[in-house]
Amino acid sequence: MAPGKGAGVLKREEWLDLARDVGWEPSYVAEDELYPPEIAGRPWLPGPAWASWDEPYKTSYGEYVAKQHEKDNSLYAVRDTVGRVEDYRKLDPAWTNGLKLHAATLPLAEFAAVIGNLRAARFGRSSAWRTMATFGALDELRHTHIPLLLMHELVRWDRQFDWTHRFYHSNNWVAIAARHLIDELLLGANPIEFAVATNFVFETGFTNLQFVGLAAMARGAGDHLFEKMVTSIQSDEARHAQIGGAVLRILVQHDRAYAQALVDKWFWRSWLLFAVLTGFTMDYFTPLQARTQSFKEFMQEWVVEQFLQSLAEHGLEKPWYWETFLESLDYYHHMVYASAYTYRASVWFNFVVPGPDERAWLRQKYPRSWSELDPIWERISARWERADPGNDFAVHGTAIVSFCDLCQLVLCNGTPARNSAVVLEHQGKKRIFCSEPCRWIFEREPERYASHDEVVKRVLAGQAPANLIALVQRYFGLTYDDWGKDAYGGRYPWMRAGKEPR
Amino acid sequence: MIPLYGFLEGDTIGLLILAQPEDTIEELAEKLQASAAVRVKPMERVTVLYKRRALDPLVTVARAGLTALDRFDVVAERS
Repeated sequence: MAPGKGAGVLKREEWLDLARDVGWEPSYVAEDELYPPEIAGRPWLPGPAWASWDEPYKTSYGEYVAKQHEKDNSLYAVRDTVGRVEDYRKLDPAWTNGLKLHAATLPLAEFAAVIGNLRAARFGRSSAWRTMATFGALDELRHTHIPLLLMHELVRWDRQFDWTHRFYHSNNWVAIAARHLIDELLLGANPIEFAVATNFVFETGFTNLQFVGLAAMARGAGDHLFEKMVTSIQSDEARHAQIGGAVLRILVQHDRAYAQALVDKWFWRSWLLFAVLTGFTMDYFTPLQARTQSFKEFMQEWVVEQFLQSLAEHGLEKPWYWETFLESLDYYHHMVYASAYTYRASVWFNFVVPGPDERAWLRQKYPRSWSELDPIWERISARWERADPGNDFAVHGTAIVSFCDLCQLVLCNGTPARNSAVVLEHQGKKRIFCSEPCRWIFEREPERYASHDEVVKRVLAGQAPANLIALVQRYFGLTYDDWGKDAYGGRYPWMRAGKEPR
Repeated sequence: MIPLYGFLEGDTIGLLILAQPEDTIEELAEKLQASAAVRVKPMERVTVLYKRRALDPLVTVARAGLTALDRFDVVAERS
């Protein structure tokens, strides 16, 4: 490699290409033994078919380490300045619940993404892909440790932050849904499905929602540590997400129908997760004055427009359920939030009732749906007005709610006038799905999902208690100290105590 | 006991309702409305739908043909 006298060293771009593509053609072992189809994924193509694999973000180990070091230093500087307990005490009590929700669902999922990337680093079919997936794995390990470290500081102030680590080890219903998604997306998927599902759909499709939208709201809410954490993490995601498009490009050339099916499946599954995670935070937990746009507006700008453009560039169509998805932008996260508010003891973060100003804002942002949702909040407010102060269970559900057999989330799809849940009998067993896309995903690969029981079926099988309090405490792993409550104990200045119920 | 998925018009979520075979359809509707009352004010006059068909409020759950893990809907009575 040493250049001779007079020979110039390679330009950076040429060097990065050279340093990235470091594999060789195997001659002592058959290619399908080195990359067995069962784990390398379909379509199984001979090596030369992957020769054109390329993505725009090239880096070397030296550059990578220097950049990450710089980012970590910058993040820890922000923590040391504005990320201590005393800083969090000053924030709006509603906002910190968006933080608890993100803090619990992300870090250990990021660790699962380490495994997914490492599988691609071994079984990805292009040497350049394997190199970039190795950097992706390093990224995800960083994303595991950063929130674990930063939130640990907050546990001594608020025990609900302990769920940053506990969440995935629990049988909490949200954790069951999250593991169902993460196990398949990050741990079980072969490198091709992983690249399309995680790198292309999840990270490319939805990354900007966090990177741009959530970071802006965190800044507005005064949570500079969360803002810094999100931008620091998402700048990694934006880089390694480029693996997805590169894999999809080759996949489309050889099996377009399969590529479309993967995109359709993972867009829906990702949407349901982000609707809860980001939808709650943007439209309910962010103080009104810090809301720059509604969740729907962010989705339209950063996901819908850009994702459709990206699909078109790959020669793919919008998912078959697009009209259903567009309708759910107006309803789904609102229906889950109102439902979860009335079952807040079943989760590890607190909720707030949207007041008159928030509801006016929501009505303006969601003119299609809010008139159907507002009566729910009227009813909840009326219940609080006649409840004893701080008696959370006076405004709480008692029946066991029902869950989707695919996404494992509550049956909150469709509209209040017509819930879209659908029952399907499969091999003598009845299953219920929150939506047609969830049913379609199940029916496409029933062998992948059929053995998994959602919470209701666990209750009916005697594996989980049927009494709600016992279910919350003994199965979901919550105690009075850390289960979700109304963040203000139902004492809102705009409520009139002692008013008769409507 | 027959576990059923109940959906109340105006509500945001489906609920698990444990019905007895001898419960009338009217009582089944009351159970669902009571379970959802924290979010939706109970309606006085309702119709119970099963497989898009309105059920006789006086017939029993068993007689109406509802079996475990079926979906039923309670909607406002249309005049």
